[in-house]
Amino acid sequence: MRLNVILFFGKHPGAKRIVAEFINSLLSLSSDHALGYVVASLIHCVLLLHVIAVGALVFIWMERKVSGRIQDRLGPTRVGGRFGWLQTLADGLKLITKEDLMPGAADPLLFRLAPYLSFAASFTAFLALPFADGWAAQVLNVGAFFVLAVLGLEVFGVILAGYGSGSKWSLFGGMREAAQVVSYEVPLGLCVLVPVTVCGTLNLVTIGNMQAGLFTNWLIFQNPFMPIVFLAFFTCAMASVNRAPFDLAEAESELVAGFHTEYSGLRWSIFFMAEYGSMFVVSALAAILFFGAWHGPLPVFASISASPYLMHIANLAGCTNFILKTVIGVTVMIWIRWTLPRLRIDQVITMCWKYCVPIAAFCLVGTVAWEVTGLPWIGDMTPNRNPMGSVREHWAQDDPVASTSHSVVIAEGRRND
Amino acid sequence: MTDFTELSAVAMLPLGIVWHTVFFWVFAALTSGFAIAVVLEKNVVRMALYLIATLSATAALFMLAGAHFIGAMQIMIYVGGTLVLLIFGVMLTAQSAFVSMRTSGGEWVTGAILGGVLFAMLATNAISVKAWRTYYKEGTQVSVDAVETVAPIGLALVGIRTDARVESPSGPAAIQSGYLLPFEIISVHLLVVLIGAAYLARTKVQLPGRSA
Amino acid sequence: MATGFDSRVVEYDVRTDEMLVNMGPQHPSTHGVLRLVLRTDGEIVSEVTPHIGYLHRCAEKIGENLTPRQWIPYTDRMDYLAGMNMNLGWSLAVEKLMGLQLPDKARHLRVIIAELGRIASHLVGMGAYGLDLGTFSPFLYAFREREKILDLFEEVCGARLTYSYITPGGATADLPPGWIGRCEAFLNELVPIISDYHNLLTSNAIFIKRTCGIGVLSAEMAIDYGCSGPVLRGSGVDYDLRRDGEERYTEMYDGYSFEVIAERDGHYPKDHQYPKVPQDAVLGDCWHRFYVRMLEVMQAIDLLRQGFDRYSAATGDWGTPIKLTQKLPKGEAYLETEAPRGQMGFYLVSDGSSIPWRVRARSSSFCNLSVTHEICRGVPIADVPAIVGSLDIVMGEIDR
Repeated sequence: MRLNVILFFGKHPGAKRIVAEFINSLLSLSSDHALGYVVASLIHCVLLLHVIAVGALVFIWMERKVSGRIQDRLGPTRVGGRFGWLQTLADGLKLITKEDLMPGAADPLLFRLAPYLSFAASFTAFLALPFADGWAAQVLNVGAFFVLAVLGLEVFGVILAGYGSGSKWSLFGGMREAAQVVSYEVPLGLCVLVPVTVCGTLNLVTIGNMQAGLFTNWLIFQNPFMPIVFLAFFTCAMASVNRAPFDLAEAESELVAGFHTEYSGLRWSIFFMAEYGSMFVVSALAAILFFGAWHGPLPVFASISASPYLMHIANLAGCTNFILKTVIGVTVMIWIRWTLPRLRIDQVITMCWKYCVPIAAFCLVGTVAWEVTGLPWIGDMTPNRNPMGSVREHWAQDDPVASTSHSVVIAEGRRND
Repeated sequence: MTDFTELSAVAMLPLGIVWHTVFFWVFAALTSGFAIAVVLEKNVVRMALYLIATLSATAALFMLAGAHFIGAMQIMIYVGGTLVLLIFGVMLTAQSAFVSMRTSGGEWVTGAILGGVLFAMLATNAISVKAWRTYYKEGTQVSVDAVETVAPIGLALVGIRTDARVESPSGPAAIQSGYLLPFEIISVHLLVVLIGAAYLARTKVQLPGRSA
Repeated sequence: MATGFDSRVVEYDVRTDEMLVNMGPQHPSTHGVLRLVLRTDGEIVSEVTPHIGYLHRCAEKIGENLTPRQWIPYTDRMDYLAGMNMNLGWSLAVEKLMGLQLPDKARHLRVIIAELGRIASHLVGMGAYGLDLGTFSPFLYAFREREKILDLFEEVCGARLTYSYITPGGATADLPPGWIGRCEAFLNELVPIISDYHNLLTSNAIFIKRTCGIGVLSAEMAIDYGCSGPVLRGSGVDYDLRRDGEERYTEMYDGYSFEVIAERDGHYPKDHQYPKVPQDAVLGDCWHRFYVRMLEVMQAIDLLRQGFDRYSAATGDWGTPIKLTQKLPKGEAYLETEAPRGQMGFYLVSDGSSIPWRVRARSSSFCNLSVTHEICRGVPIADVPAIVGSLDIVMGEIDR
């Protein structure tokens, strides 16, 4: 068995390696000792868990507050002081103390397992999500693809909940979700493919780094098709994370509560953690693929992003930036939810196959044509612009043969910079 | 942007356990365990669930081997494909015959023969890989080639094989045949399967009254 | 297929099984305690059977044990979203039996109160319909406006839901001083808000997709099933009891100018101010029923504004309520009024004592609900709440 520590822990000198080496130095072990890496991995997992849990805490509060404001109400005002910002915690406490019911007709194993399955899928997607340059639990070479693949797994929890509940309403919800998610994976994948084609990589960190500099360098300004793709992506993303107006799986006016009709207490709340987690992931994906990832509109931290120590400050600012962009995306989803009526299942599917897929496919072809012909667009007005191909996947940089031969091919295929 | 010094030391626990091996065994056990559960389970939906677990654990094994792309592919296609299976499972369970499936003796025999043959083939192939028979002492320092698989696969798909390079003074392009033809053949094959499945799934109903 | 083409063989898609689903009585969108038994094949509903009676409170029988004025609170609890209009219907029926004539002021007061009640009721109908289609916010906007109407009603009679305000012989009290001004101010606030509702719902693309061509109720069918109110007018039947009813009722609206809200030649009265009828809309579908309600709100606002001047200028007083134990003349009386949900009829037979011998109510929602099995046939599950919601039923009135 050929093995190497790099295989398992990845190659990027991301935050994990820095943490791992720090821990190893504390324990006066050699800098590449496995123990440091294990501890670093655990730290990452716990941190991500908190991103989801605290994220859900904040987003549910936001959902209440934003919907309150939209509906001319105040929303929560009491718990935790002026803005009721601890309301979610009170909700959580209530949920924990609720009786945990399981219908007699339920399949006990599937019923119990379903929420955790949903949550696990949502959580796994976070593993490949970079919060700043290299700040990811696992910098994956196929990051964008991995996130999409894993997010699609969330539907299993919903279907199993629908089937396992032993309730007809739940079953309807589960089947709707299945039809919807299976359909929307296609346009979602196509939409993600467009920025990926422009960047020439699936690595989310690389895609992010390519958009450094002024905001005109963001991928949405890359060519005229990008804004259209973004809208299509956002629509499909909302559909794939089951948010209104595509929340057919829970459609409270039709299916009582859809797939979670029979759930109560903690298990029910875990479904919601998964939902808010997924919302975060797709918004984050939108931020990375279209809105410059962790780069602000102005390159304030550009000068220190390369220095060995100050780069952490730059990364911290980048992380803030990134989360801000993501939260804006989530807010838009909340806003849409409280404004629009719900579509019918056939309309949702029609929208997917008759509108989203053709639009995404057209934009993919258009983008490729635009990039190949090298026509100018807003992005090209960026002063001192890094050419799009300058941040390469490192296999091309470091493989001595590849860097001499194949990277040339790639650079030619990308842009005529 | 990315400096990455090769870390060639083998990761070991203080006790001398190789982490990579540990995880390999964990996921291998999960894969086999759930695969057996698929065979033994009688409820269609649970069976599909175990299948998902098996395939996911396989995806983890791919990831462990550095083939991230194949791993993600495995999740996207196989696990996603099981989704459809699951839907059919749910739809079919309205008929009581599928709620708890009973396997007859003959089916066991057929299954055992088919499974046995497949296993024998795979095992023979696996053993015949030379490198796998070579014994590496724990702690041996080995280095691995670049693990990134996406770009080479993508390039190979359009005709540039990085793994079978033919160095020529005129440049690397325009020499090799890629994976495009096999890929297209598989696509057409899948299309045929889809059409066939759609055809088979349709039921024919005779309207009463009208004679031919 | 060796025998070649056989015309009896019909190809079907994947064969699925039918399933019986209970929608209600505990369900978020059955407007109370309606129970619909759906026979579904996948998402498609092949049969809908409404089951009623979960809110039956023997109101009619109670009416045979109370004097007409004592029974007023029970009428409030029938259509609890339009209590004032229920009071009015019963009062008019009793007055018809007694042959009472009211002073002019009381007449205009009743018009004002009834039309304000209509606005409140249609606001709930509109908001709840949004809720049925999965949008929550219009519901709360509607309740925000309704709240102000309830404030006005509270000033008038002290109650916010079960008013018992209009009584046989007039009303329990006159409108408080300054009330007309406050009501007028409210209407001025409401008019611009109505256009917000049109933006949020009537002309919203998703709303149009969800309602146009859904649950089409033909004019013939609507008449056959005895539908009334916005459900009938939404099918293009030009019929409104305020204009076409018995004289005992229509004389209340004497001198008021209003056009019945129903489509004529593809147009609604004064429809240039409101969103256009979408192309996909079919006369008698959910969209038209909803639109009629929205226009009736504007119509009611118009009637109210006419009523304010007349009320202020009118002579006489606000009427004298009949005594609690007033003896009724021997005989019977039946009168239908145009309540927000349709024709609400009250029937009473008296044997000469102060307690009616028989009391019956004809519910508009009951007839409107009776068409569900016709217009819900073959629709997806999601359209069942959309259709039932567009009928705007109140179970309290159906079950009584």
